Order: sequence, then structure tokens, then C-alpha cells
Amino acid sequence: MSYLIASSLEEALTSLRDGSGKARAVAGATDLYLQEMPYGLVDLSFLKETTVIEEKEGLMSLGAAVTHALAASSPLVLSRARALAEGCAAIGSPQIRNIGTIGGNVINAAPAADAAVALVGLGAKAELVDINRETRTEAVENLYWTHNRSLVDSSKEIMVRFLIKPCLAGEGSAFTRFAARRALALPMVNAAARVKLEKGFVKEVRLVAAPARPAPTRLLKTEELVIGRPVNGETISMVEKAVAEEIEVRGSLLRCSARYRQHLVGVLVASALKTAATRAGTSGKAGD
Amino acid sequence: METYTDPAESLLMVLREKLGLYGTKAGCGKGECGVCTVLLDDRAVNSCLVPVGKVQGRKVETIENLSRGGKVHPIQEKFVEKGAVQCGFCTPGMVMSAYALLKENPRPNPDQVRVAISGNLCRCSGYKQIEEAIMLAADKLKD
Amino acid sequence: MILKAPEKNIRRYGKAEGTGYQSPEVWSKVTGKAVYGIDLNLPGMLYGKILRSPYPHARIKKVDTTAAEALPGVRAVLTGAKLESKPFGIAVEDELPLAVDRVRYIGDEVAAVAAVDLQTAVQAIKAIKVEYEELPAVCDPAEALQEGAPQLHDNFPGNVAWQRELVRGSPGDAFTGADLVVEENFTVPAIHQAYLEPISCVAVDDPYTGITLHTALQSPDAVRKIVAGVLNYPLSKVHVSGPVMGGGFGGRVYGNLKVYILSALLAIKSGSPVKIQLTREEEFTAGRPMIAAAIQMKMTVRRDGTILGREADIITDNGAYSAQAPWVSKTVSERNDSVYRIPSIKTRVRLAYTNKIPTGQYRAYGNQAANFATESLIDMAAKKLGLDPLEMRLKNCVREGDITVHGLQIGKCGLDECLKAAAKEIGWDQKKEGRGYGLSVAIHANGSLVFDKNFRGASALARLELDGRITIFTGEQDYGQGTHAAFAQIAARTLDVSPAQVTVESKETKTAPFSTGALAMRQTTIGGKAIQLAAEDLREKIFKTAAELAGAPVTMENGVMCSISGQELALAEVAYYNHSATSGLSMTGEGKFVPEESDYDESGYGNISIAYSYAAHAVEVELDKTTGALTVHRLVAAHDSGRIINHLTARGQIYGGVAQGIGMSCLEGYLFDEGRVANASLAEYKIPTALDLPEIVPIFIEIEDPAGPYGSKGLGEIVMVPVLGAVANAAADAAGVRVTGLPLSAEIIYQAISGWECEQ
Repeated sequence: MSYLIASSLEEALTSLRDGSGKARAVAGATDLYLQEMPYGLVDLSFLKETTVIEEKEGLMSLGAAVTHALAASSPLVLSRARALAEGCAAIGSPQIRNIGTIGGNVINAAPAADAAVALVGLGAKAELVDINRETRTEAVENLYWTHNRSLVDSSKEIMVRFLIKPCLAGEGSAFTRFAARRALALPMVNAAARVKLEKGFVKEVRLVAAPARPAPTRLLKTEELVIGRPVNGETISMVEKAVAEEIEVRGSLLRCSARYRQHLVGVLVASALKTAATRAGTSGKAGD
Repeated sequence: METYTDPAESLLMVLREKLGLYGTKAGCGKGECGVCTVLLDDRAVNSCLVPVGKVQGRKVETIENLSRGGKVHPIQEKFVEKGAVQCGFCTPGMVMSAYALLKENPRPNPDQVRVAISGNLCRCSGYKQIEEAIMLAADKLKD
Repeated sequence: MILKAPEKNIRRYGKAEGTGYQSPEVWSKVTGKAVYGIDLNLPGMLYGKILRSPYPHARIKKVDTTAAEALPGVRAVLTGAKLESKPFGIAVEDELPLAVDRVRYIGDEVAAVAAVDLQTAVQAIKAIKVEYEELPAVCDPAEALQEGAPQLHDNFPGNVAWQRELVRGSPGDAFTGADLVVEENFTVPAIHQAYLEPISCVAVDDPYTGITLHTALQSPDAVRKIVAGVLNYPLSKVHVSGPVMGGGFGGRVYGNLKVYILSALLAIKSGSPVKIQLTREEEFTAGRPMIAAAIQMKMTVRRDGTILGREADIITDNGAYSAQAPWVSKTVSERNDSVYRIPSIKTRVRLAYTNKIPTGQYRAYGNQAANFATESLIDMAAKKLGLDPLEMRLKNCVREGDITVHGLQIGKCGLDECLKAAAKEIGWDQKKEGRGYGLSVAIHANGSLVFDKNFRGASALARLELDGRITIFTGEQDYGQGTHAAFAQIAARTLDVSPAQVTVESKETKTAPFSTGALAMRQTTIGGKAIQLAAEDLREKIFKTAAELAGAPVTMENGVMCSISGQELALAEVAYYNHSATSGLSMTGEGKFVPEESDYDESGYGNISIAYSYAAHAVEVELDKTTGALTVHRLVAAHDSGRIINHLTARGQIYGGVAQGIGMSCLEGYLFDEGRVANASLAEYKIPTALDLPEIVPIFIEIEDPAGPYGSKGLGEIVMVPVLGAVANAAADAAGVRVTGLPLSAEIIYQAISGWECEQ
């Protein structure tokens, strides 16, 4: 078994290529012991490209190896992509947040991963580069193959960073989750919302919830209903119902019944929307 | 300290079985209890989840680092003073989480203390005297 | 020239009393130097591993160990067929060290290996081939009791592991023409003790000394007796040597007998020390959690709130083997009856075998399950009658001088003071808008006699060391409850020295007096009394010897003796004088405490303990009606445990016990998928984190009880009991509807609020 702490992206890609499918790129590596151990590991935790947090030319760049703790406390993330800070702050425990990364949260492909749900809610795109040095950019929700399986092949491809349109004036985002315990607990439901208000009315909106499908699920029909409305009590109740109708969730022995989850998902999406709207600025107050 | 080992081994196994540092405890092996908490570059991590390959050349601090030469750290002193130690199995990890918190935030409020130890399970204490001890240690370290 | 210590020197309060004296062991714990069971490594030690059944119920057709035995590094392989063991057990003899022809739960021990390292042991386990023939399984205890259900044990027909029917007073009359009858079905899931250190044992077989089990136990002597029986060793050739214990809460009273027996058998077979350590998953799938219970309970009440009688039909879920489940079922079925003046009761309790994990004991022994049911019914009755739940409890709760329906003699009792204090502190008369409030009361015995009528007390030795320090030898175990600190304080007070001069030794069964152990909340009251008596005996001997040495009567203060002529004598001088005069005999005080006065008859009626502790808890909660999420904001825990010897550790017991009560009320419980444990991890079996607990306010109602040492009584177990009823009542107050199944999860509460059919 070999373990390389990559000192450049180039070195990381070369050693993945040399590993011919037997080496894997990792960052936090917290879930390593839950899976079969690969032959070689290439650690991306210390690369400039994968640890950057910056805003440039109207676009936020967040390295895929940024830890949850860092994302949750970054002033830039807190002011421009609040949902992500909230999602990251909700993960597991301080110890996990100190080492687990937002990229890992997506590639691990768990159906209700908090950072991933927030990223999809924010409309984040992931930038990937493969061992042939080809780069692609994909919406985060398009990176899921099936439950707990990512389309990203870590033996051939490196997720470098996320690109997020920052929430500026008139925009807000929020993340909500519901779990049996206040730490060290996977959620029964989590949700994220991003909203842009104009004169108190919804101009743009993204609503996302999980777990339903392999990827965090966008609620396109509900989004459509919300467009052009103020986020007030009436809209909130309407969203609660619309979400529950649009999304189909399953029950599980460990979390909760399908019926209860169906109820929760409406409540949580509506609550995320309400908070996001409040944050979107004074115009959001119409909804309170 | 230098040691040679399979990089896929967990930091916890290396600390305990290779280096004989048994102060760091093992409770679940899955990052679910926090008794194996150590500091990696000043941040609390579950050593059971860290492949030791990841720590090459980095700073690891364990409970053994805190009380050298017969002197105990103020956090440890306050843990005893406040009755925060019962069976003691969570204590080394709990102390390390407190140590990481006070490094980053020397003046935490009680809510921040609770968040900082929320990844460290304790079945004996109900956490109250642990919280009191950490607040008191913060006071003492400020002086 | 014998002189008793003058009365003036026996002060009411020892030096460290009421302060925070702690046993010096805390320093080794806080610095990471304490050696726990999992830290033990002996030279030449092998690693043991157990092969477990993947089926809830199956016949074993064939076990082939050839491949495992051929693996390099494998030193011993055991199967049930080769062992020829007799069944053993704690309350019921229904277990074998390894299954012979049948497995009865997923996790049942089928084979065991010892190898040079853990990886090899794991490989060897995988290399053992077992042919099973699956049998129909029964996982629901009520179904197990029905005719035609699959049978688990030939000698326990109908799957009844134990049962009891009990009538006291005249329940028939009580239920005829009563003003009000309240009735409900309550369910409580199986609960794991969730001690953070997994159970481990290093067994060493020595031709001279016999078997030594290096494992931390609450009752080392009880385990030693059973292991000696299974191994067919003389009792004096089986020892327990205890490392530091990473939590117990009842789970380490008998611990995991299979681990001790199999590590011993592997050590005997291999000739090397063998360590078996359970994984966390094994803890949850093959440990000994407390029974699940279904309690059908009925209470009859007069219009003014007076309780006239109660009936209960209880089914407890034993799992595949019994451990302590019969005793726990007994406590569930009766202890809580004695907290009120109930004239008549009728109870049936049946413990049913199912193809699930076997069950053991947990802090408070099921009294908390009964508390959930009874206290819920009290509030239901109060609501129907338009009475204040506080008034109804004050009207019915037991008081000094009462003899309860089961024959318990209520001595010193501060239960009504506890109730009033808890209600006052929670703001019972100034309830906040939007919050729910609940009350609950409890009684718990201080070491009940029901374990062993012939061994009801405790003994201890107090030895004066040559340097003037005192060593106490006791079989009572401390794993953080503060027992040994309290013992040092009791001995110190008796001898008028500082507690820091006293060392408490308990961990070697070779030297410790035989003891029932850390269970049944008996240690402070019964164990502590023995220590007080040992210290008194030593004190007399010291005075006698000191007077001889001084040639005149002496008095003593602060560990220094003074003769009438003014000559000062240190304890070390007296010890050394005795040492020379006796050619090395140490001066030792003996203490034996045999509580003769308590007894019970064949039906269990009688005063089963020398003293009882009391508690009342009050809780304030908030309910989010959109999700059903319950937040417990504040819990006031008022306790009469007599005089408190050490307030620091006593507070620790309250915080910790309440936390476990909150866990059991709101979060915890085994989830089964047929016979499989679905939540076998600390991520999915959710004990509270630091963020899940309310503000906890301890109140001590210190009523001196002459039964215990210096007026003190037990606290550790009762702390958890009232939490369940108080939280349930507060939740019902907030929700407007009552949930009768634990835990009170958001989903269950939401279902109740919404009137959904239960989908669980």
C-alpha cells in the first residue's frame, strides 16, 4: 500500500495514471475504513487548487478539499453562500468536520449528505480534471450514478473545486435539516433553498431536498409555483404541500416512516425558503 | 517521533500498538464516539479515521503531550476539580477536544463548549461537570 | 487499659465531607495513564475471536474447523461439540459456552479461535465452515407465548423463561364500583448500557494459581463462581484481577460471561494468555441489554384522587437466553408499586424467549420502565378527575412509618419534601405559556435481599500500614461513581484522619473480601457500613495499642494521638510498635455488616432492604408541533438519599443518571429487523451528546437515615428512574395527547398529534 501526499495537481494526476486504476484520490479519507482499502492513495488535502476559497470575477471558487470546518467558518462562505456554511456545520461532529471535505461529501454520494445538498441548493458546479488532463465542469447533482455511487471515478479523475455564483444583494440561501440527535446523526431530511427577490417577489429560486433519489433532488415544480410570489405565510403553506406532492420519499427502519418523511420534507423545504427569503434582504420581510 | 508502518493503518492503531501510547482510547473505530480524539495540526480529529499516511511530517498531539514532567495541564486540573472524570474512558478524548477548542477560541461561551465536545460521547457524566471544567480552565488559561 | 475513643472525637462531619474529595485514581484517568481492559497486553498473548450465528434460529448440522486449524498462527480452535459442558446461567441455566446443535439468535456463539494476532484470528473464524438448517424463528414476545409458536428451549415449554402472578390486598374489590379506572398499554424497547469501553478479557491459565481473568467487573465474585463452575475448577483457582473499568451501569455486573468463559477455555487449550475484546458491533448484537417490556396497566382511583388498586399484565422480552432478565422482570413488576399507598395489586408478568439478543440488567433494573407506566397513569387519572398532578402525588405518596403493599417498611422518607421542592423549583405554580410540565416520583431499594437471601450484607478490612496510612480492603467496585472516595471519607471520619490517608483496594479477588458487588444501589449503604465497622474495629485496636505504648489512656485528633500526660503519638509510631511487638502482624480491623432485620416470604412479601431512597423529578419541555420534536429544557431532580457524603460526586451521579434517563425517554432503544439488530452502532443507537441534554438542577433533601453509614443512602440507580415518567407527562402536557411507547421520538409524537395510525 502506498500513500502519496501530493504536492501538485500534476503529481497527483501522474500518480493516478501510474496506478492504472488501483490508486485512488482522497482528501479527508474519513470513509476509507468503511470501504475496501485501495492499493494506493493520493492525498489532495494540501494542494493550492483544492484548498482555495476565493471570489473572483463574480464567481466563488471553493477547493474540493476544503474541510467542513473551514467552509462553515469562512467569512466569504458565510456571507455569500450561507446554506453551505450551515450544511457543513451540521455534519457529524467537530472531529469529522475538521478532516472531512466538501468534495468528499459529494463523491461519497450518500443520499442526504449535508454539504452536497447545500451545494446543489446553491447551484454549484464542480470542476474536474482527469488523468489525460481533460477538464470538465458539471452541475453537482449530475455527478451521481446510483445510491452511494458517484459518477466521479477517483482512480481516473480529480475533483478540483466548486464554482458557485455568490448570493449578492436581494439574494439569500439557507439550509435546514431534521435529525434525531443534535450531533453525530444523519438527517431524516435535509433541504436547501436559494432565492432572489425583486421588490419582495421571487425572481429566481432553487429548492432542494434529500434523501429521495441518489442525488439531492431539485423541486422544479414547486420552484415554478413560487416564482412571482411574495414569500409570505400563504406561499409557505403552499410550498409545504407542493413539495410533499412533488417528491416521493421512502421510509427506513433507522430514520422514520415514509409518511412522516413526506411530511417533514415539506416543512423543511418551506423553512429553508423562508429563511433564505429573509436573508435576501428587506424585501424578504414581506413574507414574515 | 519517527516510526515506519503501513500508511493505511489508522493513526489510532499506530499510536496504541506501535508507539505504546495507550492514553488515546478506542471505542468504535468509526468516528462515532470520540474517545480516540487527538490533535492533528492543532485541530481535533478522530484518530481511528485518519490513515497514518496522512500525518507524515505533521504535528500530532495526544493526551500524553499534555502532562509532561509531572505537571498537569490546567484543563486536566479543572476536570478533576469539577468532578468531570467518572469512569474516565472518554476523558482523554474529551480533554483533547477541550484543548483544541481553547487553542482556537480562548474565551468560549457554554454553547461553544457544548458544540466543541459534541463529538465526544460520555455515558457517565451528563457532560455538565465537563462543561464547567472547560469554562473554568479557559478562565485560568486567560490569566 | 482499653479506652474507647472519647465521644468528642467522633465528629458529625468528616473533614472532606460535603466537599469534593476524589479518589486519586482520577489523576491517572485524566492524564491517560489509567490502564483499562482494552489496554492490557501480556507477553505471549494470543487474540481470541468468536464465530457467531448468522441466523436467528437454526440447527447446526456440521462444523468443519480443518481449514482454520491449518492456518499458520492459529493456536486453538473450540467448538461446542467438543466441550461437553453443562448448561449454566445467572438466574436460569439455559446457556452453553458454545452452541452444540442449535443456534437461537443472530450472534449466538458457535466457535472460538485463538491466534497470534487479531488478523489471523479473524481469518480463522472465516475459514470455519458451518452447515445450518434454518428453523422458524419467533421474534415477538407475545407471539412466542402463543400456542404453536416455534419453541426455543426443550426444558422451557411455551417459551416461558420465568413467570409470576401476584395478588396482594383485594384487587377485585378495588376495581368494583370504582369512581375511575384508567388503563393503557405501554411499551419500552430494549436498552443497551452503552458503556464506552467495549468488554474485553485477558485470561491466563497458570498451573499453580489457576485461571486469572483480567477484566473489569462490577461483581467479580459472582462471575468467578459461574466461570469456576463451567470450567470445573475449584473456586480458589479462579481469580479476577480488575483493570480500570470504562463504564458499567449494570452491564458489567455479570458482563459478558461468554467472553470470560471462552477466553479461559482458549487459554487452557493453547497454554498462552488469550485476549478477547468485543467490537462495538458485537456489544450491540451479542451484549446483554435490558429487556424490552410491554406493560398493560390499569389503575383504580377514588374521586378525591386516592389510589385504590392497580392491575398489570406484563410481557418482557428475554431474547434467546436469560442472563438477569428474570430478576429485572421482577423489579419491573413490583418495585414502583411501593412509591404510593396502593392497598391492592394484581400482577402477572411473563418473560418470553424469543430469537433475539439475550438480555441482562441496566441501572435501576427496570424500575424506570414501570415508572413510565405508573406515572403516566397517575397523570391520566388526575386529568380525568380535574386534580393537580402534584396534589394527587402528595395525597398518595408513601411516608415514614408506612408498610407498602409489598411489605416494604418505609423508614426515614423525604418523598413529599422532594415533590414539593422539585415542583417549586420548576415553577409548578407559574408555568410558562407554550411549555409542558411533568412530575414523577420514585423509590428504590438500597441493596435488595432478593439476590441471595443467605448473603445479604458486606464485609471489609481496614489495615493500619507501617507508615500510618490506612488501607481498606473491600470487594465493592468503583468505576467512577465515587464509591471509593466515599469509602475513604467514611473510614477517615471514623478514624479521624484525612481521606487522602486512606487507600481503597478492591480489584483483586485474591485479597478482597467476597462481595455481591456494584449493583442494586447497595454499595454506599451496605458496603459503606461494613467499612465504617471495620474502621471502628481498627480504631479500637489502635487505641488499645497506643495506650500500651504510652502507658496511659489516649485521645486522638487529626490522626495524632495524645496521652493524658500530653505525649503525642503518630499513627506510624503505633503501627511500628505493634509491628515489633507482633513480629510483623499488621493491625487490622474487621467489619461485617449483616442486615438481619430485613426479610421476605415465598411470595416476595417483606422488607427486602434496610433502607430505601426516594426521588421526585420535575420537567419543563417545549414541543414543536410542526414536526413533533420535543425539547427538554429543564429537569429538577430532588433526591432523598440521606446525608450526602460527597456532594461533588453525588451531583455527578445526578447529571449522569438524568442524562441516561433522557436518552431512554427521547432517543434510545433497540431496533430489530426480525431477529437482526438494525442499529448496532453508536451512530444509530443514539445516546445523548452534550447538545441533547436539558439544564439539570440537583436538589438534595438530606434526611439522615440511621440505616446507612453516617446517615447516608444510595443514589446511583434511582437517579434515572423518575426521568421517564416526568418527561412522558411533560410531553403529554405539551402535546395534549399521550404517547405510550418509548422513546418519545419526534415521529411518534407527531403521529399522536396528527391522529395517524401508528406505523411503527
